[in-house]
Amino acid sequence: MARPEGMTATRSGDDRQPAWRTRDAKELAELARRLRRRVIGLVAPTGQGYVQQGLGAADIFAVLYFAELRLDPADPRWAARDRMLLSTAHNTAILYATLEARGLVPEVEGYCIDGSVFEINASERVGSAVEATLGSLGQGLSVGAGLALSHRRRGSDARVYVVLGDGELQEGQVWEAALLAGSRRLSNLCLIVDDNQLQCEGHSDEVMLHAPVAEKFRAFGWDAHEVDGHDIEGLLAAFDRARSLTDKPTCLVARTLPGKGAAGLEGIYAHNLKLPPDVAESALKSLETVQEF
Amino acid sequence: MASAADDLTVEDFSARSASAALAEKHYGNALLAAAQSNPDIVCLTADLTLPTETDLFRDALPDRFFQVGIAEANMIGLAGGMARNGDVPFVHSFCVFATRRCYDQIAMQVAYPNLNVKVVGVLPGLSTLLGVSHQAIDDIALMRALPNMTVIEPSGPSQVRKAVAAVAEHVGPVYLRMKRADGTEIDVAPDASPFEIGKVRILKEGPDGLLLGCGMMIPVLMDAAGRLEIEGHHVSVVDVATIKPLDPAIVELAAAAPVVITAENHSIIGGLGSAVAELLMEEGVARPFARIGVEDVFAEGGTTPYLFERYGLSADAVIGVYYAKLEG
Repeated sequence: MARPEGMTATRSGDDRQPAWRTRDAKELAELARRLRRRVIGLVAPTGQGYVQQGLGAADIFAVLYFAELRLDPADPRWAARDRMLLSTAHNTAILYATLEARGLVPEVEGYCIDGSVFEINASERVGSAVEATLGSLGQGLSVGAGLALSHRRRGSDARVYVVLGDGELQEGQVWEAALLAGSRRLSNLCLIVDDNQLQCEGHSDEVMLHAPVAEKFRAFGWDAHEVDGHDIEGLLAAFDRARSLTDKPTCLVARTLPGKGAAGLEGIYAHNLKLPPDVAESALKSLETVQEF
Repeated sequence: MASAADDLTVEDFSARSASAALAEKHYGNALLAAAQSNPDIVCLTADLTLPTETDLFRDALPDRFFQVGIAEANMIGLAGGMARNGDVPFVHSFCVFATRRCYDQIAMQVAYPNLNVKVVGVLPGLSTLLGVSHQAIDDIALMRALPNMTVIEPSGPSQVRKAVAAVAEHVGPVYLRMKRADGTEIDVAPDASPFEIGKVRILKEGPDGLLLGCGMMIPVLMDAAGRLEIEGHHVSVVDVATIKPLDPAIVELAAAAPVVITAENHSIIGGLGSAVAELLMEEGVARPFARIGVEDVFAEGGTTPYLFERYGLSADAVIGVYYAKLEG
């Protein structure tokens, strides 16, 4: 897609990247604002969709898709593209908003409406932009590790990014995959734990003691550290570091705030949330300008 | 000079079956041959390299061999990721761990996306000393229920080799279930024809009944058919090595038979017998019918001959049920 109006982004210097990218924090913040507005816009008509998680993850998605991932919207199946897997595949309002903004899917119509490919849980019915059908929690890191192993065997420098939820860490398969990725030194693999503290039963740390997550991954042979999931410069630096490593996979434990940036929603820890028209309207209004960081 | 430890150590479970270590690796050789002609084939195993005969692959093609540890769910996810990148993963474990242990992963990361992943299991049914934890009596049922999945259980060395070649050529998910060679296997009816997925193989023809089976039950059925012949009953024996998709030729064979019996080293629920019953009922073929198999019970650890006798997977059981059905 064409660069949005007002964007003055420069290329990252990677000649193999056909699509424009930006490392400008202000531009990325502006993109994240637009993604947040789209999250509200997608969910408001039916009330279906994960609002708080989408708003919380918007900065991560903006940085991933507009700064970090090597991709070509004109050729979504490009063999050298970086792969991005959303293991918490129900967090589709932000995923579809981002894919749409990046030109990887056409305009999202019929979100959560019967018959639409834009189901609440992303499936590959959407097309090649959804790299695997996840959502049965715990599986994304394994698929990502398989892709990373395959890229390495084939001599491809494509990278693999996996976004998991913090509650998803309760699935044992995550740790099977973590053990393998650390053992095999999959430095082309980058895991982002979207640490939004949300799961069905409530605050995830009250359901299960996760902390210290980064320390656990370090013990499994990863380069792991905590980042603020809304600090765009911090995220850019963390991805730079991940790309520079040659002997370890990376785990970024990114703390995110549910409802981030939207008046009336920010800080409400609700896995499922009602979004009546007046709340949606005031949230949209508050997202008319970029929040200061 | 070898130490006592070297003399006593075995790298697989062959100590429990005296001839196993010396047996020709029909599966392992066939997989290696397929991989040597297709550079996309990769091999994954969950700490069971020797028992799955994948040591041959490991030694010849180490860059395409992945030891993933004792973690079958992760192994299936890895295979899904690899297949999405153009690889053709053959994943290996015992039948029970290759299916029941990672069923959701197979459903979501192999079957739903219709990826070119081959799930290969050894130790089918009651063919293990290791007891109920290692006995796969529901793996065919589980795999058969998944859309896009092909389910194959060959019988005998030549069919194993040909089945592997056919599976490697086939594009799409396959569950390949078989007994690891221990040197006791025989080809009951060697023939030069290729293994054709979805086609039955008629091993013996006779008008007095139809015995349908797969895998380790084929020698049992041939034995039963030979003994029935002595008693004047000439029955057909048909190898249904592809349990899904089921060969519709079974309909005509069954319609012409006074008795139809299925035999499987698996629960009678959900496997070959169920598949045949569904087909015949829907096609309006009502013949006296019986299923030989594990009768909705968990078994126990023991030698294969003992367990097959104890749980009715025997020629005696087939003959008994044949007469019972014939006499109505």
